[in-house]
Amino acid sequence: MVTESAVSPKGSKLATRDSITLTINGRRFKFSVGDGTGDVSPAETLTETLRKRLQMTGSKESCGVGACGCCAVIVNGDAVAACMTLTVELDGKNITTIEGLEDATKGLDPIQQAFIDEYAFQCGFCTPGIIMVAKALFMKKAQPTPEEIKEALAGNFCRCISHYTVLRALNKLAGNKNAELSTIVRANDLVQDPIPLAQELYPSPYASGHVCKHSLD
Amino acid sequence: MKYRDIKQPNYRHVGKYSPRKEAKEIVTGKALFLDDFSLPHMLFGRTKRSPYPHAKIVKIDTSAAEALEGVRAVITHKNAPFLAALGWPVHRLVLESRAFHVGDQVAIVAADTLEIADEAVDLIKVEYEQLPAVFTAVDALKEGAPQLYERFPGNLVDPGCPYFQPDGPFWQVKKGDPDKAIAEADYVAEDEISFSKMPCPAAPETPSVIVRFDGNDHYTVWASSQSSHIMKLMMQAYVPGSVIDVNTFNVGGSYGNKQTMLNAAVSAAMLANVTKRPVKIVLSKAESLMTYEVRLGSTIKATMAANKEGIVTAVKGDWLVDVGCVCNSTQGQVGVGLGEAQLVLAKCENWFLDSHIAVTNRQQAGIVRGYGGQELNSCLEKLLCAIMREGNFNPLDIFKKNYVSHGDKYLWRDGRTYRSRSSFFFPEVIQETADRFGWSEKWKGWFKPTSMNGTKARGVGMGVIGNCDIQEDNTEAIVRIIPSLELSNAGGGSSTVIVECDITESGMGQRSNACKVVAEVFNCPYEWVSITDPGSRNNPSNFGLCGSRGTITTGKAVTEAALDAKKKAMELASIKLDRPVDQLDMRDMVIYVRDTPEISISVSKLADRELSIVGYGKHVEKFDCPSCIAVFIEVEVDLETGHTEVLKLAGGTDIGQIIDSKALEMQLHGGIGSACLDTAIFEDCSLDPSTGRLLASSMIDYKWRTFNEIPPYDGFVMESQIDTFMFKALGIGEISGAALASAALMAISNAIGADVKEYPATPAVVLKALGKA
Repeated sequence: MVTESAVSPKGSKLATRDSITLTINGRRFKFSVGDGTGDVSPAETLTETLRKRLQMTGSKESCGVGACGCCAVIVNGDAVAACMTLTVELDGKNITTIEGLEDATKGLDPIQQAFIDEYAFQCGFCTPGIIMVAKALFMKKAQPTPEEIKEALAGNFCRCISHYTVLRALNKLAGNKNAELSTIVRANDLVQDPIPLAQELYPSPYASGHVCKHSLD
Repeated sequence: MKYRDIKQPNYRHVGKYSPRKEAKEIVTGKALFLDDFSLPHMLFGRTKRSPYPHAKIVKIDTSAAEALEGVRAVITHKNAPFLAALGWPVHRLVLESRAFHVGDQVAIVAADTLEIADEAVDLIKVEYEQLPAVFTAVDALKEGAPQLYERFPGNLVDPGCPYFQPDGPFWQVKKGDPDKAIAEADYVAEDEISFSKMPCPAAPETPSVIVRFDGNDHYTVWASSQSSHIMKLMMQAYVPGSVIDVNTFNVGGSYGNKQTMLNAAVSAAMLANVTKRPVKIVLSKAESLMTYEVRLGSTIKATMAANKEGIVTAVKGDWLVDVGCVCNSTQGQVGVGLGEAQLVLAKCENWFLDSHIAVTNRQQAGIVRGYGGQELNSCLEKLLCAIMREGNFNPLDIFKKNYVSHGDKYLWRDGRTYRSRSSFFFPEVIQETADRFGWSEKWKGWFKPTSMNGTKARGVGMGVIGNCDIQEDNTEAIVRIIPSLELSNAGGGSSTVIVECDITESGMGQRSNACKVVAEVFNCPYEWVSITDPGSRNNPSNFGLCGSRGTITTGKAVTEAALDAKKKAMELASIKLDRPVDQLDMRDMVIYVRDTPEISISVSKLADRELSIVGYGKHVEKFDCPSCIAVFIEVEVDLETGHTEVLKLAGGTDIGQIIDSKALEMQLHGGIGSACLDTAIFEDCSLDPSTGRLLASSMIDYKWRTFNEIPPYDGFVMESQIDTFMFKALGIGEISGAALASAALMAISNAIGADVKEYPATPAVVLKALGKA
């Protein structure tokens, strides 16, 4: 579940703070706070900081009101809606964005790879947010149940309907059996006593699935 | 012919899953969408919008906005750099002295930052004279109704659109003698049904555009459009004397809805023209929900008749379409809706189905997945339900009997008559999908629940629909075999392939599918084939991915281009190997003698150094291969609260040949989203009754199906190798949800034992049908 903000504004010392330091994807950023040119204003959202200031455009701004999850990033282990989080509230916080998930040596995060393997996106606009919320869940619990996965993603909207393949990818990763929500049956698999392809008679020049004695293989 | 007798090819790539070309970019956040992109010296555009649904601008004062530091241009109807028209036929301007809906454009601003542009918009003072407004098509056509445009007396839009209907307007299905057939029929139903809430497809990425003025009436556009070609075509029509080049990126959802985006695009063009700097306009979510294009409003008043076998014998009536405040070639959608109705009722020989399009003071309606078909079907199928109920027919039998068969004739959106050359197996796929769903066990009769558990009643419904737009619009493509470039001149590297083809990816995977079928033709790894960036200037002509046309039209153009290039390569190899072409074969960019494969040559060595081998292919429009999808739904309705839960969905189709297995699965799933299924369940789209304004101005208000509300989906796919192009496939995504809304209403009616005729079946509607409200 995406929360509106990982940080309570209570007890904030914003009025006296003239700079903030954030760790984003392992790199420290120090920003001056104020209304001067280049300053982070107290009204600047984390989405604006990431997308406009740092050119980290992986997280998307869609609804702007914390409803859709497209902007989700991880702050100190929790998935938050960056569009509803003020950057000045994040002093000292550790932020992970979609750009920070791939490891330079190990490669893609297992969630990212699972999304490719299961085609867990359509247009891909909401995908970074979905992956970050899933990542926060898996960081807390390596093997969440199917219900926990669905509940965690309840704040991520996808209008193309990638839900089935997203859940398939995450359930496989979590080792959940019998969690499949979608089945596609091909009639070709149901044909009883199928007529075997007589490869000599039907040598589709564009079908390499058959192997004949003249094949390069 | 039996299904098992059809030869099923065993392809290397086609039919299997290949990860999308941009898959890694998408999961790592590197995939580029419009708002991730900017140009040097770019300005930001914002729009001043009318708070009234119909008003005359008496006075407009922009002086304070112009004086604000950082503001570069403020444009109103008084100082527009050119007169930009809107609509087909043209009936208004982008900026004029009147406003026609809440949110209509009154002024546009370009500034150094978005914040300055927003502040400038607030500083524009406008004095309006409010005019009477009208919010439904029925009211708009009444005598004495408020008039919107001089061009449309009585608010009635001219039928027909020359681009879609070159032989003349097509807006009626007229044949046989419907009156006689109704008089002689065994069953007759007459009713008025509306599907007129005009829900939003609401793509997560809002309509957005960057326009740069290059001088001499030339503009370069970057847009979140799903079709650079269509956007170019329309913008050039409405920006006088212009030459427009459109570039696109990944598109964050469109569902047919983000194509021309004319208001934003023309506004940005005006601002770019005046400031001589690139201007970006990104609609806010509130702007998108309240002012951008939504589904057509649809009402039919009709009589339907059937014989004792359940074959529909007559349809007589009028389809009234509410297009909101701008009609932009909606006539084409009406043509498709009429066509799809004939596919569903293909055995009917007596028709007089008329249509009328009305303008109203609601936000503009336009293209949304289903393209007129869902809007008409959602009404017409309720009449079919009445017939089936009267005859106590099982809908499964009736849909199978009435749906278009191979050889049946129908009129399509160009007004021409076609005869189906499509599948022989539609009844079989409908039956098999029903069996897998458990229809025979769940169907208990009309208005009879499948089961009851306390206050919870379950019911089932179904629907069938098809589409011929899957072959629409001429398309061309170029395929180039690029030799490996090596400074050493040692040879040995493999050639690669570039597909030059203008299709934009908005989620369907067709850019990758184009590469895939080309890889199949060349019998080479899929990874060796790439596709050019989408854009109208650097690519051959292609209407893009609308109407599920990509599979056949792009598929045919790129495979023919690949075959052409392959033929040339073979001919060159024939000379070099001194063997006739028919003794040669090709694999992994090596051409070899079939009987003595050790005699071979790399394709890289065929053409003169640095030169590629080029092939050209095209598809020419026709409409003779309808698709078909059967959908089934089981719901559970709480009789106390009226709340509906979808328990199960099933969909079945004969796709001809699967190109990509997972992509097809997701196209079937897609029918649940983008204002399809839930237009019958909860997408209520409540309006402010005094202004016609959508009350849901954010995604908190606009209800959406979430991850924990997704029902199980059971898909069934036949592949009968339909004669469309080399790979024998059809497209399906356009209609995968088009019959779900009507099927849902059937299911809810059966669950509660009372006829629900109002979309969507919110708890209030259900309780009203139960006599509890």
